Amino acid sequence: MTAAIQLRSVTKTYSRGGEELRVLDELDLDMDDGTFYALMGPSGSGKTTLLNMVGGLDQADSGLVQVGDEDLAVMDGGELAQWRSEHVGFVFQGFNLLPVLSARENVELPLLLAPLSKRQRREQAERALTLVGLADRMNHKPRELSGGQEQRVAIARAIATDPQVILADEPTGDLDRDTADAVLELLQRLNRELNKTILMVTHDPQAASYADKTIHLDKGKLGRIEDNRTGAEG
Amino acid sequence: MALVPIRYNLRSLFVRFSSTVLTVCAVGATIAVFAGMLSLQQGFATLFQERGRDDLAIFLRKGATSEGESGITLEQCKILKNEVPEIERNEADQPLASAEMYLAVRLRKFDGGETNVAIRGVEPMSFQIHGDDVRITEGANFTPGSDELIVGEGLLDRIANCRVGDTLRINTGTFRIVGSFAGKGGYQSEIWGDLDRLQDALQRPVRSRVLARVPPDVDLAAIEQRYTDDLRLQPKVLNERAYLASQTSDLSARFLFVGGFLALIMGIGAIFTGTNSMLAAIGARTHEIGILKAVGYKPFAIFLSFLGESLLLGVLGGVAGCLIVLPFQGAETGTMNSTFSEVTFAFRTTPTAMLWSIVFAASLGVVGGLFPAWRASRMTPTEALRRG
Amino acid sequence: MPWKLLFRNLLGHKVRSLLTIGAVMVAVFLVCVLQAVTSGLSRTLDASAANRLLVQSAVSLFVDLPLGYQQKMASVPGVEAICKWQWFGGRYEQDKGGFFAQFGIDPETFATSYPEMTIADGSYEEFAATRTACIVGRQLADKYGWQVGDTVPMLGTIFTRIDGKPWDFTVKAIYESTSAAFDQQQMFFHYQYLRESLEQGGATGPDGVGVYMLKIEPGTDPLVVQRAVDGMFENGPQRVQTTTEAEFNRQFISMLGDVPQLLRLIGGAVLFAIFFAVLNTMLLTGRERTRDLGVMKALGFGNGVAAGLLIGESLLLCLTGAGLAIALGLLIEAPIAAVTASFIPGFALERDTLLLGAGIAAVVGLVSGVLPGVRAARMNTTQALQEIA
Repeated sequence: MTAAIQLRSVTKTYSRGGEELRVLDELDLDMDDGTFYALMGPSGSGKTTLLNMVGGLDQADSGLVQVGDEDLAVMDGGELAQWRSEHVGFVFQGFNLLPVLSARENVELPLLLAPLSKRQRREQAERALTLVGLADRMNHKPRELSGGQEQRVAIARAIATDPQVILADEPTGDLDRDTADAVLELLQRLNRELNKTILMVTHDPQAASYADKTIHLDKGKLGRIEDNRTGAEG
Repeated sequence: MALVPIRYNLRSLFVRFSSTVLTVCAVGATIAVFAGMLSLQQGFATLFQERGRDDLAIFLRKGATSEGESGITLEQCKILKNEVPEIERNEADQPLASAEMYLAVRLRKFDGGETNVAIRGVEPMSFQIHGDDVRITEGANFTPGSDELIVGEGLLDRIANCRVGDTLRINTGTFRIVGSFAGKGGYQSEIWGDLDRLQDALQRPVRSRVLARVPPDVDLAAIEQRYTDDLRLQPKVLNERAYLASQTSDLSARFLFVGGFLALIMGIGAIFTGTNSMLAAIGARTHEIGILKAVGYKPFAIFLSFLGESLLLGVLGGVAGCLIVLPFQGAETGTMNSTFSEVTFAFRTTPTAMLWSIVFAASLGVVGGLFPAWRASRMTPTEALRRG
Repeated sequence: MPWKLLFRNLLGHKVRSLLTIGAVMVAVFLVCVLQAVTSGLSRTLDASAANRLLVQSAVSLFVDLPLGYQQKMASVPGVEAICKWQWFGGRYEQDKGGFFAQFGIDPETFATSYPEMTIADGSYEEFAATRTACIVGRQLADKYGWQVGDTVPMLGTIFTRIDGKPWDFTVKAIYESTSAAFDQQQMFFHYQYLRESLEQGGATGPDGVGVYMLKIEPGTDPLVVQRAVDGMFENGPQRVQTTTEAEFNRQFISMLGDVPQLLRLIGGAVLFAIFFAVLNTMLLTGRERTRDLGVMKALGFGNGVAAGLLIGESLLLCLTGAGLAIALGLLIEAPIAAVTASFIPGFALERDTLLLGAGIAAVVGLVSGVLPGVRAARMNTTQALQEIA
């Protein structure tokens, strides 16, 4: 299954205070499988909405949202939930780990939705944690971890089910420079070594520089797409 | 030391509206039970506080704890009436003393069950002794020597066949109701008739007591003392007030006991609920607490502030509880006294009952708020601000 | 369904969980106690015997029936045996404040009419043979430490001795009972002993008998006997009321009047209090859990799971509280029953009462969990994720 992502004429409107805001305006976008994308744009440009759309957390009012072979726009809530558990991993700015569970248990959480035995879940979780370099902190609770460590656990959780797509919303927003770099390097590694497609929303150009390409959004429409490796624009 | 403005607490109670309402309701239910029991006790106590004259003396058989247990013969009654000089006399120079018979008799209730009702056989002198305390409110008084009865007002709505014109079967005799009367206290729940006729019907030649008018400050113990070695009789002498107090203290105490027991147990539950509510509120406001502390409010001021908020919650619950109970005001209910006789009294939510209820509610609020307030005061500003 | 998460959430907020469990425990305990009181009353009714009738004055509890009535009643067809019951109303010299029932009875007909009474200690024959003997119930004997052979001095209030001394009864047997209606805190002695003392002038007190018990032959219609006896004394000197044992017991309960209703009102108030308490906890929890539940939904857990977690927590809290309350109740059931025996007969926590308590807790838990649960199920995931916990 390829995880090429296609958006065609995607429109999303929100009502706020009596006014109608068009957050995404007939957006067309193609994303290649196995590429690390940064998504940038001014506040209100619709970046998070786009991310949520690709992740099946939100649905377009009209248009096509295709991830791999599936059109997300026609699925209902239950189908989307199922699809998310199998195909997508999320990384949030605020880490969003459950405070009452240990690191390993947090990583195991999405695995509960897969038909795995208890032992298999445990092994996969430990593998994910090893990948992010936190095997020795497996049994710690989030409050016993630093910010950077928490985010890495969140990333481990995101890859635990081996999804094709990782969606990150300002993953380094709460971290200092050095920790942010470590996290971004990790994402890069996941993309290059495991061929994960990554879509990362960020407002930080330096964070964006870790990605292969940067997509610019403005007022719900597609702006330019920079290729960070070649410097070419499209 | 600067105190945190109350405005802050009031606002926060309002902001977390649903939690405040639920906590107030939970406490309110507890207080309603407490206030309810108090109102029952108050209704009962007021009934008997209205009575109890200290210028009426009651002569019982020695060792009897109530009229029901007491038995005095005709001869003994005569001795008491004529030989006790302290007994006052009327204009015709007759002693204001009357022999009476008391028996708890089975009667049918309107709802079909049975209950015991006090029947009192009296002599005409009894009415002179009571004066205005006993007034005929409907129909007429019974004719002495006849098979007629008058019924106390408190019984009219509970006991069957008690209205003017009805007939009641007392053992082998048939009596006609000719009137109803108002009397203070327990007399309101009694049926009165001619002493001799009732004794005849009941085949019960025993009198229960002698009632007499005496000066208010007379030494009744001295009268009793006078007869200690008298072979003819050894009466027990006490005034009406003391007698009624002795009869009702048991039941009154029982209401207070049950009320206290229920209040204690439910109060514990209410405290748990209040503490939970306050802890959650403080948990949600750690950021504000941090700011208050950073601004310069001392820990003790924070403590008082939250304790006060919890107290306020409690008081609101108390008010709610009283409001729940108020509609029952004046509802008549009945229970048994020490001789198993029906006693009717009204539910009275007096200012005393409400005051105690609110005090109880406030104390629940204070106890429930101690731990959360302490926790809030102990938070360091950096902790508090970081958590937010 | 992530069960581990359910437990962890409850343990993660220990104080809140404990306080809520505590509130539920208190409420369920109260409800069970209140129910035990009312069901105890009705149980004594159910246990009444069908072949025993009780004859008492139609007029008053406090009026005795003439001795001469016994012979007349014996002639009524269907009456197999008669036993007198005379209320003594005395006080134990060493515990004047304590209360228990004492009756003068006929030993010859007493034991055979009350087969639910079993002799645990001593000998009934000796009791029957000795004029001043008494037989006491197991609970009463245990309370005062009486053994067979002990002398129990009783101060008479209704029947008083001329010499002013207490009445001495010798314990010749201790009984136990297999029926809820025949309680084990009573004392029985010879009615004849009372009678003789009155006749010989050694004591004063009322003539007559408070209650006659009629044991009727098997196959006899009790109603026929009732009507015959009532009719026999229609014209006095004392009119009588013959009732079945159940009706006899019921009369005391109906005298309580509004008390059962009051207990029901109080039970209702307790119910409301605990419902508000648990609902409060769960709504607070639900609100705090918004972000966590948003994460779960983002990960792919369905709306049902989100609601289920809250409902599960609520149920778990309530059932734990109920369980603790039931355990506490069972623990102190015996002491309470002993203390309240004199004014609350037959206090016992039956299985139905405990089930009622648990059931109430379960319903409260369910409803309190459903409200925040539905809200959690419906909530917009993206908005939930943006909530600051």
